[in-house]
Amino acid sequence: MIGVELVKLVLRPRTWVVLGMLVALPTLVAVLLAVTDVAPGPGEGPPFLSAVLTDGTLFPLAALGVVLPLFLPIAVAVLGGDAVAGEVQSGTLRYLLVRPVGRLRLLVAKLVTVVVFVVLAVLVVAAVAAVEGRLLLGTAPATGTVSLSGSTLTPQQLAWRTALALAYMVVCMLGVAAVALFLSTLTSSSVGAALGTVGLLIASTVLLGLDAASALHPYLPTRYWLAFVDLFRDPILWDDVVRGLLVQLGYLVVFGLAAWANFSTSDVDG
Amino acid sequence: MSGTAVIRTRGLTKRYGELRAVDGIDLEVAEGAVYGFLGANGSGKTTTVRMLLGLVLPTEGSAEVLGAPMPASRTTVLPQVGALVEGPGAYDHLSGRLNLALLDAAGPDPLPRRDRRRRCAEVLEQVGLDPADRRPVRAYSLGMRQRLGLAAALLRRPRLLVLDEPTNGLDPQGIREIRTLLLALNAEGTTIFLSSHLLAEIEQMCTDVGVLDRGRLVLQDRLDQLLRPSGLVEVHSPDAHAAARLLGDAVVEVAGERMLVRADDAASLNHHLVGSGVRVARLGPYERDLEQVVLEASSVPPAPVETRAEVLTS
Amino acid sequence: MTPVRWRWFVVLGAAVLLVALPAAVQHRPGGGPPTRPTADVLARIQASADVGWSGRAQSTGTLQLPSSDSFATLGTLLGEQVELRAWWRGEDSWRVDRVRSTGETDTFRDGRGQVRWVFESERATYSPVSTIRLPDAVDVLPPSLGRDLFQGAQVDEVAFLQGRRIAGVDAVGFVLRPSDPASTVGRVEAWFEPTTWLPLRVDLYGRGGTTPVLSTTLTELDLRPPAVSAVRFDPPASVALAYEESTDVAAAANGLELADLPSSVAGLPTRDGRDPGAVGVYGRGPTTMIVFPLRGSVARPLREQLERNAGTTQTSAGTLAPVGPISVLLTRLPGRGGGFLLAGTVTPETLTAAAAQLQERA
Repeated sequence: MIGVELVKLVLRPRTWVVLGMLVALPTLVAVLLAVTDVAPGPGEGPPFLSAVLTDGTLFPLAALGVVLPLFLPIAVAVLGGDAVAGEVQSGTLRYLLVRPVGRLRLLVAKLVTVVVFVVLAVLVVAAVAAVEGRLLLGTAPATGTVSLSGSTLTPQQLAWRTALALAYMVVCMLGVAAVALFLSTLTSSSVGAALGTVGLLIASTVLLGLDAASALHPYLPTRYWLAFVDLFRDPILWDDVVRGLLVQLGYLVVFGLAAWANFSTSDVDG
Repeated sequence: MSGTAVIRTRGLTKRYGELRAVDGIDLEVAEGAVYGFLGANGSGKTTTVRMLLGLVLPTEGSAEVLGAPMPASRTTVLPQVGALVEGPGAYDHLSGRLNLALLDAAGPDPLPRRDRRRRCAEVLEQVGLDPADRRPVRAYSLGMRQRLGLAAALLRRPRLLVLDEPTNGLDPQGIREIRTLLLALNAEGTTIFLSSHLLAEIEQMCTDVGVLDRGRLVLQDRLDQLLRPSGLVEVHSPDAHAAARLLGDAVVEVAGERMLVRADDAASLNHHLVGSGVRVARLGPYERDLEQVVLEASSVPPAPVETRAEVLTS
Repeated sequence: MTPVRWRWFVVLGAAVLLVALPAAVQHRPGGGPPTRPTADVLARIQASADVGWSGRAQSTGTLQLPSSDSFATLGTLLGEQVELRAWWRGEDSWRVDRVRSTGETDTFRDGRGQVRWVFESERATYSPVSTIRLPDAVDVLPPSLGRDLFQGAQVDEVAFLQGRRIAGVDAVGFVLRPSDPASTVGRVEAWFEPTTWLPLRVDLYGRGGTTPVLSTTLTELDLRPPAVSAVRFDPPASVALAYEESTDVAAAANGLELADLPSSVAGLPTRDGRDPGAVGVYGRGPTTMIVFPLRGSVARPLREQLERNAGTTQTSAGTLAPVGPISVLLTRLPGRGGGFLLAGTVTPETLTAAAAQLQERA
């Protein structure tokens, strides 16, 4: 079943359009930076973007920092929201279920497919950004990349930490995927499910900016998204990364279970 | 009814809030039958079909398909069932053949990959689609989509076919082709549960009929039983009242110049009437068609003859 | 239970468990009352400067200081939420990182010198450490702030407070109510690690305040002394280490000997008991006042800033601005617009009296 879903993912033109858009934004940023030579001021803009003019090897991270807050979660919300509702809309869900495909199996396959997409998206963005960083932006100091704490990272260390950061970003999208999947089992409109997910993320971002909601902050899905920056401190600051991991797993468990609870017993009328 | 039951429901009920979409129906479909499940749109046919397939959970009652309870045994039952539920469903951007292959690959099957591929091509040909057609389903006509849906239902040579409005969108030629195909499959032993709002379709194909009216099963019998000679003779006479007096208890019904008379032989009745000085305009054995049977069983308010068909088809 | 419902109970159970578990861990009750005499505890708090530890801290200030380039760091420390990481080997060997989502500012202290690294501007600066300097990130670490505020505390000013669970430690709490009438600090609540008496959390309240104006707490604590390598800065090869004479404006002013301050002003003796140079820090515990002379080039923009502040008044002594429990007074010296800056957790009257005393002396 997972194989079938992956084939569908690959054969779907939308997958490639979304991927193209994810790559287009950082490319635009790279071109603008290279042409104008004006980097965001220190402490402004997405993480690492101020540093890429002097060190292009950081551009994959900067590029992911650009797409992580908005583009990537929206893409995940669209894919996740389409997972079940899309099958209802195309009239194929009932045929899958009488094939028969187990409902839990179907949900797991859909979730795995979304995660595979995120992995693909993160890798493609990072790879394209790496090339762009090398061609368009500053060359790395021969002595190695400087960490946030002012220590020097060897290329091996940088590669290792970048890989960790990419993995962390994939993890960050797990919660979004689970929420979108759950909403997708609630409604037969994939747009509705995607918008609902995006709405939740916006609400989370708004609450993060509100001191009065500080008691809620540790539970918000977007709270620890930017913690991948902590992987480039020396020594690595694991706390927020670990917390982010736990929060995402929590969302995955709760909304994954909710999707299962709802979908296992729901009437398939579409 | 003969043979073992392939579908059997007991008090099957589905409520949506206050609305009883399906209200305590007891279906009985024998093995090898072509069962016509007749009812107006909105009478609960599709909901019943969905309950049989485990897509919708019944509020009350139970359903058995191929001898096993549904939806509990769906993993063992459904592989032996082919279904077409409320129109075909396909991924618009993929070709028909790829759609079929993906659906086939989605579930478990002992067949090796190569045989599966061959099987896809076979059923496509069987329903009259070209297996080499690479066009996306988006470009298909309604009839082609319907054929694709049928191909999906036939894919695994099921013991039971559950078809909801299978000839929807097909031209008369196509309807004939599909009918021939289904009857051939039935002859090979496939039981067919055919839900439709088209009387003609059911009259032409089915061995058994069940009639659903606003969620209730108002009629269920063998078609030849329903349409058997009634033992009545229909008489049209300007002297209807004189005739009624003459025939006494044998008269079942008088309406204007038309009357129904219980008689074994129309010819001797005619002889008797004319011999007694009653003028006979028309006389012959009274035969009901399925439409009349259905109308008599349904609670649909009486409608003029020429609009009756619309009541059933609208 | 119908077959439809039980699944939702599983979902609900999982959700409640996941939300409640961290909350329950966080709200575990802290330590009970200390068994040691209070005087002993107060001495041990001051001695905790030699305790090695590492961890993370979060400090939240609610004071809106008038913005000024010279005092920018101070404004951030007292007016915003600051995330800190620290490695502490002793008073003159430590590292404190101010962590931001886009970078960090790190201070490495090694003996008499310190290196400051700012990631965003890729600058590393070495400067010698002077005894007189403005509060910095290291000073809002709960251990540093706790020791500072409990310095010179008297036994009758201190009372036991309900314990709390802080950074995985069952911490023992004390409240300090300064008896000094010059003080604008209502009380200081602090919690300590019960074996080393390292301050773990400090909440500073103004007089009559219900929410702390400054609250700093360790969120993580490791009581093993960190290695030397953890607090040493090796500048990256691509960055040149700059040198600066002094760490901040206070240190600079102190070095310039623009004035000669008395050993006590407005009845407050110097904090360290020594005769001050050009810059003096007076008071005891949470009652503290800094006095330093400013040149016209620094004083003029600061004065303009102060004047823009709501609540600022012009008195005979100079420009007076109360910022929560902190009072700021900038006097005007004859000449190029320079003056004395007096600031601290003391009443405006105390500052005015101190200014008059300085004026007289000049």
